[in-house]
Amino acid sequence: MAGFILKRLVQSIFVMLAVAFLAFSLFRFVGDPISQMTGIETTAADQERLREELGLNDPFFKQFARFTGDILHGDFGYSFRTREPIGDMLLTRLPATLELGTVALLISLIVGIPAGIYTALNPRGVMSQSILIGTLIGVSIPTFVIGILLIFLFGVQLGWLPTYGRGGTVEIGWWRSSLFTIEGWRSLVLPALTLGLFQLTLTMRLVRAQMMEVMRTDHIRFAIARGVPWRSIRYRHALSNTMIPVITIIGLQFGGVIAFSIVTESVFQWPGMGLLFLESIRFVDIPVMSVYLVVIAFFFVLVNLLVDLLYFAIDPRLRVREST
Amino acid sequence: MFRTKLPTAALAVSATMLCALPAKAETFRWAGTTDPQTMDPHAVNATPELSFLNNVYEGLVRRGPDMGVQPSLATSWEALPDGAGWRFSLRENVTFHDGAAFNADDVVFSYERAISEPSDVKSWFANVAEVVKVDDNTVDFLTSAPDPLFPGSIANFMILDAEWAAANDAEVPARDAENHATRNTNGTGPFVLTSRDPGIRTDLSPNETWWDTAEHKLSEAIFTPIGNPATGLAALLSGEIDFISPIPLQDVEQVESREGFKVLTGLETRVIMLGFGHDHDVLRYSDETTDENPFLDVRVRQAVAQAIDVDTINRVIMRGAAEPASQLLPEGLSGFSDEHAMRPEFDPEAAQALLAEAGYPDGFSFGLMCPNDRYINDEAVCRAVASMLARIGVEANVNAMPVRGYWDELRADNFDMYLLGWSPGTFDAEHPIRFLTHTPTERLGTWNFGGYSSPRIDEMLAPIQQELDPEARQAMLEEVAGILQNDVAYVPLYTEPLIWAMQENIDVVQRPDNFFMLRWVDVN
Repeated sequence: MAGFILKRLVQSIFVMLAVAFLAFSLFRFVGDPISQMTGIETTAADQERLREELGLNDPFFKQFARFTGDILHGDFGYSFRTREPIGDMLLTRLPATLELGTVALLISLIVGIPAGIYTALNPRGVMSQSILIGTLIGVSIPTFVIGILLIFLFGVQLGWLPTYGRGGTVEIGWWRSSLFTIEGWRSLVLPALTLGLFQLTLTMRLVRAQMMEVMRTDHIRFAIARGVPWRSIRYRHALSNTMIPVITIIGLQFGGVIAFSIVTESVFQWPGMGLLFLESIRFVDIPVMSVYLVVIAFFFVLVNLLVDLLYFAIDPRLRVREST
Repeated sequence: MFRTKLPTAALAVSATMLCALPAKAETFRWAGTTDPQTMDPHAVNATPELSFLNNVYEGLVRRGPDMGVQPSLATSWEALPDGAGWRFSLRENVTFHDGAAFNADDVVFSYERAISEPSDVKSWFANVAEVVKVDDNTVDFLTSAPDPLFPGSIANFMILDAEWAAANDAEVPARDAENHATRNTNGTGPFVLTSRDPGIRTDLSPNETWWDTAEHKLSEAIFTPIGNPATGLAALLSGEIDFISPIPLQDVEQVESREGFKVLTGLETRVIMLGFGHDHDVLRYSDETTDENPFLDVRVRQAVAQAIDVDTINRVIMRGAAEPASQLLPEGLSGFSDEHAMRPEFDPEAAQALLAEAGYPDGFSFGLMCPNDRYINDEAVCRAVASMLARIGVEANVNAMPVRGYWDELRADNFDMYLLGWSPGTFDAEHPIRFLTHTPTERLGTWNFGGYSSPRIDEMLAPIQQELDPEARQAMLEEVAGILQNDVAYVPLYTEPLIWAMQENIDVVQRPDNFFMLRWVDVN
């Protein structure tokens, strides 16, 4: 088990290196950070000096080697835009993204799984049909449109919920959380819904398809034939078999939720890593963009690893294979 | 003893409450699209930073609501004999936010900081040879040549406390890594920075010991950058923020039609113009004309100027909020030429005739470079220009791109024609002459991407900068304006509007340099 985890972590280093390399080679086409960092009256000589100072004139491989070398030493460098240490920047932004992603995922699970089961067991019901159609709309409208619609409905027209930002936050060490105040939760609802809606639909449809599939398998038929109570068939035998592929997808989706919260964060001015990334693109803040992508890559690897570990917990066959 | 004291304390409390009542505590929340990069007043010479920091720091002089130059940390100033420079008499009994006294040493220190290698505001002092402390309350700025406009040109030169900077290792502005002054401030201005969370929020509170009388009634001011225009608008309409700048032109009607909100539309000092590749031998983005550059012929440039219907662009794309421009700076600024206030007349037939005369009766095609996120509706303006030029047979291939890569393209000469906006930092006609029309050199003509060159203008720049007699100076500026119009060096299109939106009970002063001064905010 420990060997398995170690192997995965070593692999993750290569994934991150590859991402860093790709990111780095693309960023040269994003634009010129120097003209963003200086005013209009700055002379070409001063711009050139700054470019030299920041190492932007060095050959690509030298810049890349310096970047990876610094990261390996735990030095993420400084932002071109705010001149802050990037490690600090990400740490202040990370909790916002993680909390948003987690709550979005929870919403999608808490609503998506029961709805999936319900629609699988009552495939022809009016309720099922309307849920299916409703969620179809949910996946067809782009995230930013949903976000803006929600903002204008609940924020502007009804005035029930805040339209932007994180509201009340509480600091626990360096972790800035919005989970401990009512204001914080009020701010969290709309972005989490927006971000979670796609996952919700996906989870629901996945659970539904799997469940319908499983209900047709032999062991369920035998269980029915043996007169096992419906309740036990559905929620014990069928559901647990349904959940294995669902967990894989959901796990992988969590990485996606974190990575693609960019749009939601921008619409709600949610001060997370995604918004930081977007601001960094606008400003050609190359160090921040690079570190962000590397961190996100690490995140994906980590989530994949957790999913694999969850398999061990859920699927007894894997545990048996491991011990023999 | 205790018993007798209690009622007195209660009385004291109610007394303060009574006093506090008329000046109601007001928290003012405002938003903008860009967060200042830094809280260091010498690190970035750009509007978001200077505008924000003018609330915290102060210069020797400041600009009033009408852009007029007013005393600030200097109470008066006078030119030294023979144009040797300027003498500033400093205000006494001014303290920095940390309580330290302000004096001449701080001015000298701030000057040295502002001309240090990592500073971005060096250009303000290009003409300054030395700054000398005469006594504790008098400072001389000695210039290498007479500089009649110097006091106004340093309105954004903000003064730091020498001891504070030294104690916190912030003696020069931060360049690659931050220093103490990047997130902390110690100014003399009307507001004190109480917390700074870059990109998220920045809190200010009034400076209780400010030397001037506060006209605002604010007890707290909170700035939030909101990058997405729809989000910013929603935040305003839901009442979560009191003020936002700017809002998109197309949202103006929606805000105005709602109860309880208002939009303040004025003109910025920014002129939007078209530039040509004056030093290009050939067109780079033409489909057929690849061996010459028709824009080298002044008649072709004149034809372009006459083919563009600026009034229509203003009415349709700018919703009438802009104002057609005739020169490189807007009407009303110092040095504007009244003699040349007429735009070239919109006349497609005349334009076509000019083209034929120049040898292009069938027109030609070329590349028009354009930013798509820098000026208001910039890409739409370029497309409109292209369709107007198409009517005289000149076909523009529009290439629109984000501003983050735009200047690089222009510096690399990747254009045949380009769109540029220019706001003169000194609010004087000399500024665009220096940056846009002087033959490009290391320090001059640095934004003259097309390499326009007029020996007469080059020759007149220094006399314009140094002439002490206003009439003689104006005569030279008139001449330059005439040369630029005759040469059609640029085609000025219009002056860009400023669009600020706020709750109805908020009154603000909209200065044409797009600076937002908290000290003029009035909450009713």
